[in-house]
Amino acid sequence: MAVELDLVNEISLGTKDVFSTMLMIDLEDVKVECATAIQSNVTSMIGLGGGLRGMLSVHCPELVAREITGALLGMEVDDLGDDVKDAIGELANMVAGNLKISFAGVGVDIELAIPTSVIGKSFRICGLSGATRILVEFGMPAGSFWIELLYVINT
Amino acid sequence: MGKNVLLIDDSSTMRKIVGRSLRQAGIEFDNIFEAGDGLEALALLEKEHVDIILSDINMPNMDGIAFLREKANRPAIKDIPVLMISTETGEDIIGEAKSLGALGAIKKPFTPDKVNEILGPLL
Repeated sequence: MAVELDLVNEISLGTKDVFSTMLMIDLEDVKVECATAIQSNVTSMIGLGGGLRGMLSVHCPELVAREITGALLGMEVDDLGDDVKDAIGELANMVAGNLKISFAGVGVDIELAIPTSVIGKSFRICGLSGATRILVEFGMPAGSFWIELLYVINT
Repeated sequence: MGKNVLLIDDSSTMRKIVGRSLRQAGIEFDNIFEAGDGLEALALLEKEHVDIILSDINMPNMDGIAFLREKANRPAIKDIPVLMISTETGEDIIGEAKSLGALGAIKKPFTPDKVNEILGPLL
């Protein structure tokens, strides 16, 4: 079953909406990233269920994660602590929420789990085998971050 | 007795953002209480006077819907107004929240103006 959505565009619009509304930041134009390696020190993942199975992840290098957290909280953030894990998790939650609305518009109802965040210097995250993968890169002053969607439509 | 609000969200970041949005919207409370889930909220409501509750839906331990259901069974707190603040905007879940007493919902992401527009008339 094909998804009748331009998911790159939906992820782009949904992410830009979160940043402009909650962080007062207009994100730079996005591009679809073909590379398989993502530079991340903080990754927040949110499981998707219902009409599809999958996971939406936000991958951020340290400087970007600190910049996003600082903008959300309105303060300087000096390290990768609980505030950063929580803030990037909430970012994943809101982006996934916007995506949920997009899917609902084409008749696919999805359910969101509670975000989980990982902090580290070198880690690998394995998703669903056979899943469709979409990776979108966004630019901020501190660098790039990525939104990754892995999904399988339930038939 | 001053006005008190209770923010229920498993994200401490979101609780801070909501608190800041209230101030930016010009909505002043004497006390802003916080709880990380429905269970924490019920415990807090046994001790503190709260005038209005802003609650997330998706939370561990006790989610926003279960919290509303439990609150409705407690005479001492059942009449405290609740507004949901959530990424959940589906008619089913918001309808269920309203059937359990929620007055409405604010969708995440939100602006202070949106908070004021929806919360202001309830105060």
